[in-house]
Amino acid sequence: MDDGRTPEDRALVTAVLGGEPGAFERLVRDYQGLCWHIVRRMVRDPEDARELCQEAFLRVHQCLHQYRHDAPLKAWIGQVAYSIAKRHLERKRIPVADSADDEGVPLHERVADDFDLEGAVADDDIARRLHAAIERLPPLQRTILTLYHLDELPVAQIARITGLAEGTLKSHLFRSRKRLREWLAPGMGVAA
Amino acid sequence: MNTPTDHFDEREWRLQERALREERLASADGGDDGIAAYRKVVRALREPLPDALPADFAANVAARAACAPARGDSRVERWLLRALVAAFAASALYVVANDGGDWLRASASLLPAADATALRSWGLALGACIAMTWALGRMREGHGHAAMR
Repeated sequence: MDDGRTPEDRALVTAVLGGEPGAFERLVRDYQGLCWHIVRRMVRDPEDARELCQEAFLRVHQCLHQYRHDAPLKAWIGQVAYSIAKRHLERKRIPVADSADDEGVPLHERVADDFDLEGAVADDDIARRLHAAIERLPPLQRTILTLYHLDELPVAQIARITGLAEGTLKSHLFRSRKRLREWLAPGMGVAA
Repeated sequence: MNTPTDHFDEREWRLQERALREERLASADGGDDGIAAYRKVVRALREPLPDALPADFAANVAARAACAPARGDSRVERWLLRALVAAFAASALYVVANDGGDWLRASASLLPAADATALRSWGLALGACIAMTWALGRMREGHGHAAMR
């Protein structure tokens, strides 16, 4: 199906709701990668992220009867994981997205403490510095970038997961990628 | 405060998307510096995360879920709810069996004699109500599907 809803997902949901042995474990296995990407990108601490992933799937188990098959199961589970991670950040008073002031601060000024920006031009080093720069992005931007590039989710599904408008998401993607590229420029000799 | 370069630029967006497509297809480097820089960014973003969930994560979560109450309420709560509904239905039946005859007679004495025209009007009104409820339901359903798209 074009919108990501599949007969396999429908069968899986029916099996879980029917209490079929092993069905829920299969569902967790199918979607734990997505859940981990969302939660791990939102929450920096790996131990917290693991616990939140567990909480997300227990919530999925409790509320699966509310899933109406009107969206892909992947997006529904992603939405549960995202809301749990977001609530965790809010409880800890960690900003989910860029504050207005941070938006104007170039990435190299935020990352400069850890790395020699002018030094290395080797691919490995560039990749290492890029990963450090990605880590320094705010949780929301990191999550959106990962869902779009690593999980290859379309903007519409990311919009469903995060509850943001598609235009806002595209703007986040555009600005984050542009900043990463600008930050890369001094080391590569590329005009920003 | 946003920098002037943060404004969405359609040309730059297309460059970013082209770099993503080329990286997905593992195309050869075309010699464009802009694309090459974005391809490095995309490559880093497509790399798996450095850590992952433990191998037995799914089995552990499934075991925990099996112990937790499912569907938002426990089996005991559902059983109690059913028992309550059954008790209520039995009480209602008892009352109707005892006093139903008297109620029927009292109601019949209050009603005017059956009139075919009045019955037809009431029937039409009832039909119109059902049709309107059905039409409103369909309209609401249509709006819901449009919002999902």
